[in-house]
Amino acid sequence: MKYAWIILLLAIGGCMCSSVDKHQNHSIVRVRWVRDPENLSPLVQPNQNAVEALGLLHCSLLQLDFATGEHMPSLADSLPRLRLIGDSLTEVQYQLRQEATWDNGRPVLASDVAFTLKLYQCPGLPNEKAKAQLSFIRAVKLYPAYPRRFTLVCRGQVPGFSYETGDFPILPEAALDAKHTLRSYSLAQLARLSSLPPRDTTLTALVSRYQHADPSHHPERLPGCGAYRLVAWDIDRFLTFVRKPHWWADTLRPAPFVLQAKPRQLTYVIISDENTAALALRRHELDVLPQLSARAFRRLRAADSTDQELSFYSIPSYELLMAGFNTRRPMLRDSLTRQALGQLFDPAQLQRATQLGQGLRTVGLVHPHNWRYYNDSLPLPAYTPRRAAALLRQAGWQRRLAGWVQTKNPPQAAPQALTLRMRYRADDPTFATIALQFRAAAAALGIPVALLPTESSSFTKALREGDFDLYVRKVSSTPFTFDFTTLLHSRTIPESNFTKFSTPTTDRLIEDIATTGAPAQRRQLLRRFQAIVQAQAPLVPLFFLPYRLAADRELQHLYPSGYKPGYYAAAATWNLATGTVAAH
Amino acid sequence: MTFTSRPRPAALRRLAIGWLVMVGAAGLLAPWLPLPFAVGVPDLLHLAEPPAWTTAPRHWLGTDLFGRDVLTELLFGARQVVVLSLPATALAALAGALAGGSAGFWGNRGCRLPLAAWLLGLAGAWWLAVLPGGGHAAAGLLGAAALAGWAAPRLPWVSRAQWPLPLDSLFQAAITLLGAVPRLVLVLTLAAGPPLPMGQLLLLLGAVAWPEPARQVRAQMLQVRTLPFVEAARAVGLSPTQVWLRHALPHACRPLRAVVPLSLAGLIGLETTLAFLGVGRPPDVASWGQLLGMVRQEPSAWWLVASAGGALLLTLLALQQVARSNR
Repeated sequence: MKYAWIILLLAIGGCMCSSVDKHQNHSIVRVRWVRDPENLSPLVQPNQNAVEALGLLHCSLLQLDFATGEHMPSLADSLPRLRLIGDSLTEVQYQLRQEATWDNGRPVLASDVAFTLKLYQCPGLPNEKAKAQLSFIRAVKLYPAYPRRFTLVCRGQVPGFSYETGDFPILPEAALDAKHTLRSYSLAQLARLSSLPPRDTTLTALVSRYQHADPSHHPERLPGCGAYRLVAWDIDRFLTFVRKPHWWADTLRPAPFVLQAKPRQLTYVIISDENTAALALRRHELDVLPQLSARAFRRLRAADSTDQELSFYSIPSYELLMAGFNTRRPMLRDSLTRQALGQLFDPAQLQRATQLGQGLRTVGLVHPHNWRYYNDSLPLPAYTPRRAAALLRQAGWQRRLAGWVQTKNPPQAAPQALTLRMRYRADDPTFATIALQFRAAAAALGIPVALLPTESSSFTKALREGDFDLYVRKVSSTPFTFDFTTLLHSRTIPESNFTKFSTPTTDRLIEDIATTGAPAQRRQLLRRFQAIVQAQAPLVPLFFLPYRLAADRELQHLYPSGYKPGYYAAAATWNLATGTVAAH
Repeated sequence: MTFTSRPRPAALRRLAIGWLVMVGAAGLLAPWLPLPFAVGVPDLLHLAEPPAWTTAPRHWLGTDLFGRDVLTELLFGARQVVVLSLPATALAALAGALAGGSAGFWGNRGCRLPLAAWLLGLAGAWWLAVLPGGGHAAAGLLGAAALAGWAAPRLPWVSRAQWPLPLDSLFQAAITLLGAVPRLVLVLTLAAGPPLPMGQLLLLLGAVAWPEPARQVRAQMLQVRTLPFVEAARAVGLSPTQVWLRHALPHACRPLRAVVPLSLAGLIGLETTLAFLGVGRPPDVASWGQLLGMVRQEPSAWWLVASAGGALLLTLLALQQVARSNR
């Protein structure tokens, strides 16, 4: 008995240690990703996972507040001030936060923003997508007396400039251009260059430095002012982000929502198989399981009905499921042929089958909830094989025993047969269901379709190279912007405009929509654009998907949302059984 | 005292053959059978549903993850056995019989080739192996082979220049090489990437399956070549090739009656594994392995395991029974 007190002390100590461990574990959040981000260069951002990862490493001027659904100041100390210049320009003035610093203590200055914008326009770098997206920014005005203040001069007069001008990662000038060589170039000068000038040693050296740093695979060489740093990246397995012990936004009182970084560690585990991921979640080897399919969501919910250890969320999203045609293929050049093939998709049944009735059908690329701009006078895409056959005949196709053929000009040339190759990502059964439905409908009409399920890592490459006749994929949009440049503008062929469709009319319309501020005029342009896209049919919009998310019930403040990625991991906190809330 | 009586082997054999005939008939006749649902056509209102025998539409064996009728897919899946596994087995048996029969009959010293044949073989190997000099060297060797062929009847020393081809050693080396890599790994390595055309897949399956029949035929040939009737055929004056083809090989091929059903079972299993993993064949080709593979995405779909797994199991058991009774 005389040693009983020692045993008691050891027991209490053990309990305290385990409690500390538990608290430490509970400041870690593990999220499932379907695929690897592949490239973590802020200039490239090839997929949503890369965007999410870059959001942890870098800060932008503004950031989407998942709690309110509005853009809020992040690096900027307030929302920008807009001033219309004449009838075609807008000045957007920002002031950076006093507290914002890089990891070495240097302040984040307007010159860093100017450098970043110039990097996005610099020829010779893999920045085609960013260049297209930010091409409306024509100049940056700096104020030597106020190093944290700057004005962006934008083409057009759009209210959306208040957030469109702030949504890109800000990069440190000192990391890539310590001698400030890029300052001698104006933004407009760089935007005009289509390739590296042969004798321009400054730009050549900058491009060489960027390529040598290889931020695509070594993001630590381009340090950001975000709350996290990447400590491990095992390709196709996991990425681990650890919170910086001293982050500049920690001093802000009260801490803005968009500058919260609660988990000490964020681990993104790449699990391509949905059932494996669901099992990992049920075994508490995973905390957040986003982008669940309808069936897996239902199955997981049923399995959890007794234990009730998980929370389930289903929210309408801005992610559109659509098909696209390779309009450069001779047989798909004619809009009537594309229209006809578009009639072979059955969006109503596909929505019921793959989403169990959830989701929202649409006439075009604008979300039906954007009622002001949505063209509700257009018919929804529907399955009408008879009309498809009539349209094919109208397009000059003739049905023969071997299938549909079109006699070329000159008539003595060999007739062209209508056979299609359909490419889709192999990791999602939704795509396979759509492909099989289309194939069956086409086969009933006498059109052979070869299916090409493709690994997600090589899918985008295949689309970029034009190795398809028809694809099925998802695209994300937002309710804030109507910039269709990446999807249908000639400037983004073939980087992101995989259909390679463009006409001078649609190019002009896309540019006008992006730069027109007056709501009435914008509405008119958008409705016209939707009508043209439906008539030309380079794309067949099927329906907007819902986001489904399952998470550990103890994990709170995830802010499930219809905006990508559908949750806000950096705000998540654990609600421990003891009632304490774990933080960093 | 016995409580149960084992089924008679003859009855089991009849049952096994009956099942195999059914599978073969289903595979051959599937496109013409009056099935209620077309192959590959999804029923979008009934995705991954269990067998429905009382309510319409009657999917007797349920539907798969994409809404395709499992019964239809199962019958068309049997087609893979008929058009892929069966020809591949025949190909493997033929190749195995020829290779094993030659190695066993001629051994390392029985087959002597003239100088022209050696030069011809060397030219072919040079060209295939892309050795230095490439086409020029191969062409030179080809020219030398032609010259040797022309000179052989005219110059006695050229006609006397013959060397034995170590057929048996070459055979053993090839078998060892193929045996060093697991068959599934080899096929996965070669079939990974875009789906292969049917002909290429058939050749690939045949190429990995020939060693077993070959080994059996060689072992049998080693006994057959010393039997009196072979000696008698030689004594009559038949050429070695005639003796081999007409007299020795038919007897050496007897083990194939037991080996071929087992090879077929192995290839059906291999084809099913490939389809299960989604390798080698397009995704819209019905197969038992593909049906089984869907259980990974829909773990509660027991009817997929029961139907495709049952068909596969019965077929493999039937083939084993046939092999046992042919022994």
